[in-house]
Amino acid sequence: MADLGKLQGGFAQALADPHAVPAAAQLLTGDAAIAEDRLAIYRGNALANARKALSGAYPVINRLVGDEFFEGLAREYQRRFHSRSGDLNEYGDAFAGFLESFPPVRELPYLPDVARLEWAVHRAHYAADVQAFDVARLAAVAPARQADLRFRFNPAVSVLASRYPVDRIWDVNQPGFAGEASVDIDAGPRQMMVVRPRFRVQVRRLSFGGYGWIDAAARGRPLAQALEAALEIDAGFDLGDTLAMLIADNAIIDIE
Amino acid sequence: MLRGAGIGLRGPHFDAFLEGRPDTAWLEVHSENFFGDGGFDLHVLDHVRARYPLSLHGVGLSIGSADGLRATHLDKLVRLVDRVQPAMVSEHLCWGAFGDRHFNDLLPMPFTGAALAVVSDRIDQVQTRLRRRILIENVSSYVQWRDSVMTESEFLAALVERAGCGLLLDVNNIYVNACNHGFDAAAAIDAIPPGSVHEIHLAGHLTSGDLLIDDHGSTVAPAVWALYEHTLRRFGAVPTLIEWDTDVPPLADLLGEAAKAQAVMRSLHG
Repeated sequence: MADLGKLQGGFAQALADPHAVPAAAQLLTGDAAIAEDRLAIYRGNALANARKALSGAYPVINRLVGDEFFEGLAREYQRRFHSRSGDLNEYGDAFAGFLESFPPVRELPYLPDVARLEWAVHRAHYAADVQAFDVARLAAVAPARQADLRFRFNPAVSVLASRYPVDRIWDVNQPGFAGEASVDIDAGPRQMMVVRPRFRVQVRRLSFGGYGWIDAAARGRPLAQALEAALEIDAGFDLGDTLAMLIADNAIIDIE
Repeated sequence: MLRGAGIGLRGPHFDAFLEGRPDTAWLEVHSENFFGDGGFDLHVLDHVRARYPLSLHGVGLSIGSADGLRATHLDKLVRLVDRVQPAMVSEHLCWGAFGDRHFNDLLPMPFTGAALAVVSDRIDQVQTRLRRRILIENVSSYVQWRDSVMTESEFLAALVERAGCGLLLDVNNIYVNACNHGFDAAAAIDAIPPGSVHEIHLAGHLTSGDLLIDDHGSTVAPAVWALYEHTLRRFGAVPTLIEWDTDVPPLADLLGEAAKAQAVMRSLHG
C-alpha cells in the first residue's frame, strides 16, 4: 500500500501535466482508459475553476477579448501560474505581467494596464474597513508642523499610471454603463486612484500632480517632500483640491 | 442552532437579503468567500448573521492533504468563525492541495487506514483551534482509488468515532457516487451510524454519458428526493440545505426547493 503522499502526488502530477495521466490512472480502479477519461474531468475542473476566478477578478479583460479568447488566456495562465491558495479570490495576481509577455495579445497593448487596474479594484473590494477620518484633526495642526505631516492611507487605496486611458476603458465596460462608450486609445497618459469610500470601489482620475503627491505620501514621505515631488511634475498642482478629494473618498485614515 | 430547510447564500441574492427578509430558516455560505479583511461581502454576512442562523461551509482547507493543513488558511477560518460565531462549521472529506499547488477542487480520498489517521489528525487540529466540533461532508467522485480498503460509509463512520466530528451528509453526492461507482445508495446511507448526521445537503446534478456530475446547477432530481426521504427516516429531521452554485436561479426558485425539503421533513417528522 502506497502512502497517502505518494497517491496524492501521482494524482497531482496528472492534474498538472497530461503526460502524467497514464501513470496516475494506474492508481485508480477499473479500466485504464476510463480512469484516464475521469482524470481528464478533474483536469477540466481545475481549468474551469481558474477561468472562473480570473473572470471574476478581470471582468473587463474578459469583456474586451470575449469568452472564447479569455478561456485560452486562462488555460495558458493556469499552465504557467498555479493557484497557491485554497481561496480562489487570491488567484490571478500575476495576470498583468503574463499579458505583457503573451504574444497573442501584443496588438492590445493597453491590456496589461487594464489588468493592473482590475487587480487593484479586486483587492480593494476585500480590503479592511476603516473609520472615517476626523477632518478637524487636520485643521488643528499648527502651521509650523504641517510640512512634516505624514499620512496613513486607506488599505484599499492604490495609484496607477498608464500610457492609455484605462480608467475610461474600465468605466465604459462596467455593468449598467449607459452613454457614449467609445474610447480614444490615443488620448494620452492617465493617472488614477483606486479607492473604496465605503463598500463600492471607485476609480478616480488624477492630475499628474495629484498622482505624484499621493504616490509619494503613500510611500511615507512627509507633506512638504511629497508636495515638492508633485510640483516638479505639475507646476499647477493644488494640494488643497487633492486633500479635499482624498478626505471625501475616505482615502486618508490617519495623520501623524 | 440550525433547524428545518436553509439555502446557500450567493452573490446574486445579496441585495434581496439586505433589502428584505426572505423566508428561509437558515443560511449557509462558503467560508472562503468571506476571507477578506473587510468590505461589502462581510457587511452582508454580518447583516444576515444578525437575522438568520448561519452555517460556514469551507471548500478550500484541504483537510485530507498528506502534507498537512495550510496555516494561513486555517488562521483565516478561525478569524471568520470568531467574527460571525456561526451555528455550524463544516469542511469536506477531500484534499485539494499538494505542496504549494492548489487545485481548488474537492478531490477524493483513498479510503485507507493511513488516510483515516491523517484526516482524523487534521480534524482534531481544526476542532482544537476552533474550540468546537465541525461537520465533515462526503464529496462526489469520478474515480476510486485502487488502495481503498473501506467503503466511503465505513470511512465516515470511523472518522466520527476517531475524530469526534459530526457528518454533513450530501445525499446528492451519495447518489452520484452510487451511480458512478455502482453501489447501492440506500445501503450506503444505512451504513452511517444514526446520531452522527447533523446536516444534509441537497443539490442538482447533470448526466454526462454514463457519468453523473454534481454541478449544483439545477433542481434536485426525483431519485435524490426519494433518497432524501430514506435518509430522514433514518436520521430524523436533520437541517437540510439546498445548494445551487452554477447558474444561480432567482431567489424564489431556490426558496421553492427549500420549501419542498421542508415539506418532506414535516410529512415524516411533524
